Amino acid sequence: MTTPEPSTSRPPLWRDVRVLRVAGQVAAVVVVFLILQWLIGNLVTNYGRLNISFDFGFLNQPTQFQIANHPQFNPRSPVWRMVLVGVKNTALAGVFGIALAGVLGLIIGIGRLSQNWLAAKLSAAYVEFFRNIPPLVVIVFFAFAVFLYGPLPNLRQAIEIPLFGTGRTALILSNAEWGVPGMRSTGNLLAFGVSALVAVVAAAVVWRWRTRLNERSGEPHHRVLWSLGVLLAILVVSYVALGGPLVIDWPQLSENRRRIASGFSINSGFMSVAGALGLYTASHVAEIIRGSILAVPWGQTEASFALALTNFQRYRFVVLPQAMRIAVPPLINQALNLIKNTSLAAAVGYAEITTLTQTSIGNGRPAVQSVVILMVVYLGFSLLVSLILNIVNRRLQLVTR
Amino acid sequence: MTASTLEPSPVQAPVGGPLTWVRSRLFPNLRSSILTVLLTPLLAYALYRAVLFFFVNGRWDVVTRNLTLFMQGTYPRDQQWRIVTQIIVLAFAFGVGAATSAASQVDAAREAGLPVVKQGFLSVLKRFWSVIAFVLLLLYFANTATPWLVMGGAIAAFALGSLARFIPRRFRSVGWTLSVLALVAAFQVVAGTVGYSWMITAVVLAAGAWSAFKFEGVEGRRAVVYRGLAAVAAAVVTYLVYMQLVFPGVGWDHWSGLHLTLWVSAFAIVLSFPLGLILALARRSSFPVLRWLATGYIELIRGVPLITLLFMGQYILGFMLPQGTDPSSITRAITAMALFTAAYVAEIVRGGLQSIPHGQTEAALALGLPTGKMMRMIILPQALRAVIPALVGQFISIFKDSSLLEIIAIDEFLGVRSLVHAQADFRVVAHAETLVFVAIGYWAFAYAMSRESQRLEVRLRAGRK
Repeated sequence: MTTPEPSTSRPPLWRDVRVLRVAGQVAAVVVVFLILQWLIGNLVTNYGRLNISFDFGFLNQPTQFQIANHPQFNPRSPVWRMVLVGVKNTALAGVFGIALAGVLGLIIGIGRLSQNWLAAKLSAAYVEFFRNIPPLVVIVFFAFAVFLYGPLPNLRQAIEIPLFGTGRTALILSNAEWGVPGMRSTGNLLAFGVSALVAVVAAAVVWRWRTRLNERSGEPHHRVLWSLGVLLAILVVSYVALGGPLVIDWPQLSENRRRIASGFSINSGFMSVAGALGLYTASHVAEIIRGSILAVPWGQTEASFALALTNFQRYRFVVLPQAMRIAVPPLINQALNLIKNTSLAAAVGYAEITTLTQTSIGNGRPAVQSVVILMVVYLGFSLLVSLILNIVNRRLQLVTR
Repeated sequence: MTASTLEPSPVQAPVGGPLTWVRSRLFPNLRSSILTVLLTPLLAYALYRAVLFFFVNGRWDVVTRNLTLFMQGTYPRDQQWRIVTQIIVLAFAFGVGAATSAASQVDAAREAGLPVVKQGFLSVLKRFWSVIAFVLLLLYFANTATPWLVMGGAIAAFALGSLARFIPRRFRSVGWTLSVLALVAAFQVVAGTVGYSWMITAVVLAAGAWSAFKFEGVEGRRAVVYRGLAAVAAAVVTYLVYMQLVFPGVGWDHWSGLHLTLWVSAFAIVLSFPLGLILALARRSSFPVLRWLATGYIELIRGVPLITLLFMGQYILGFMLPQGTDPSSITRAITAMALFTAAYVAEIVRGGLQSIPHGQTEAALALGLPTGKMMRMIILPQALRAVIPALVGQFISIFKDSSLLEIIAIDEFLGVRSLVHAQADFRVVAHAETLVFVAIGYWAFAYAMSRESQRLEVRLRAGRK
């Protein structure tokens, strides 16, 4: 490429694009810098005046408050352990909420496209209702109207649903906590964990082997059956060999009926947050599913009719794989929204990171550092989810031959 | 648009009686019949419980006795006339706005030689049926005459405002100015005209003067100077009038209830839009530094939930301002909401900017337009038009998110619940009733907005075809 000869008469400075570009950027930086300097300068002055320090040493100090349903956490536990508890509870509510939203959203999204008038209208009503109310209202409704002041009795008079013919309790229902059967270790848990890991790896290897075989020879792969079989076989053998490392722990109330002594207890805060966000996000998931199914060209469906595929085959092998490619990015976005929405638990006191940060600031911990930690935690979750999105996107991209 | 449904349409339009309809829609085949048989009793039971809740067992006195609390919260009761006036002035503003918008659409259609289709009164009712139903519900719960009187006044004011359709075409911009001015006045009836409030009015009137005086016949530059002078004159006059007008009001730190929810959402929407526009343009700028700054801000904000920003406003912003400046918690919350939403608005606008074919930019440059003019006259009108539905979706989301103020102890529509249930009669009962009422309130507004956005989407798509 040949560049034209530079003109000898240069434009004046204020009309020279090169100068303007540099000047504009310098001006932008200076303005932003000045604003930040003003804000941070005020912050330093005010902190100095109130004698608060900027370091993170408070993380090692005792929290001075108790977290409900966390017996191993006491007021002397350091603040960093509180942060870990918060992160764990945020992740738990997020994961269960996402699972609920995914399953429910899939059903409702497909239901909206159903030929059945009743199913289609019910799904549409669900979507239009939940999409247009704040998620916080749903959470608060669960926490106050379903649990705390709802129809269930308190723990003292908890409903104990027996398991038929065994004299054991299968379920304890109260307005604050539910007890469900859990698992209890009888030793050898580590060995069982290792063998479970081995089982998963073996199942994955078998999966690949069957897929390859199918690609090479065209033999039917039956990879789901094969992998599940291998997985279950290894698990059962190791369970028996280790003499039953895990047994079912049936729920039971303590003597004074103040708490659930054994089994797995779920508190109402968790159920409110995960349940409400699951229901709320399901309406968005349903819309995404419906939109993506509608976005698959009609010709694909016609082609599968021409091949005389059954309804199931048409969905399983033609429509859904293509719809999923469209649906996955917005679905993962919804998952991220759900995780961020778990912060609404602060309104009902479920001990996730936002609630704990608010309590801890109320207890005199420095606000700036606490909020910075809070933001870093959420940014971490966001980065994690976008990483997953990128990996999935790469795998889902059309492979053109 | 190709509206392809996945299922082959199994039946032709049923021509028979209701029995044919039932058979084709509910029992077309075995699977569908099983579904119908399973769903019907579930639905019947749900309806039965709902009827019991709404008409038999529900303690709806929690709403009837606290209706004022839900609407205006702890707002001083002896200043209620301000809110009443506000509602009536707002109705006037909407009347003028609707009439002006309708008139300009009719003009546009005539100009394009298209037939003018009169929109019936019924179709407007249909578009906003959810809000109208909510207002009727409020009137049903009301046990004084005031709400009825306010309602009557509002309808009369709306009708008065719609007379704006008779403003001749040359002065159409006066209609718009009048509408916005009435909106500002409605705000200031409650908030008062003290402090910096003259600035808002001055800006509105200056913009009004700029667009009203076109100085046709005066050539080029000189017209611009004249219009500028008119705008400045309007602003100065406003300032002088406001200095004479001593009208103290009730500051918004004393507002609460649905009244606060609506104003907070409105402010967050209005403030977030210009911020988001600037961020979007910065992110698309050819200056790398601007791009990095905007990208960093947008990604940071989008990675954290709104509540963290509200916490920043609540716990940190006070430290970041010089000692003595102590903005009210509502001001801080609105700031946080606007800063948060701006990042999302920026991403939506960026999507719109990216959807404009590059040929448009090239054509504008070929015509010798400078960058600013190109953006203002060629790119932005097309980009913003394309993203209006997405923007409305974002605004619905702010409206819903205004409920988060409950967490930082501001008693907006949802937060009022804590006041209601502090009363001895309702300490442990009627929580479900309160929350269902609140949910219906939020739903009515959000649903109306989402319907409007769908309507816009269809209309814009039709326009592009």
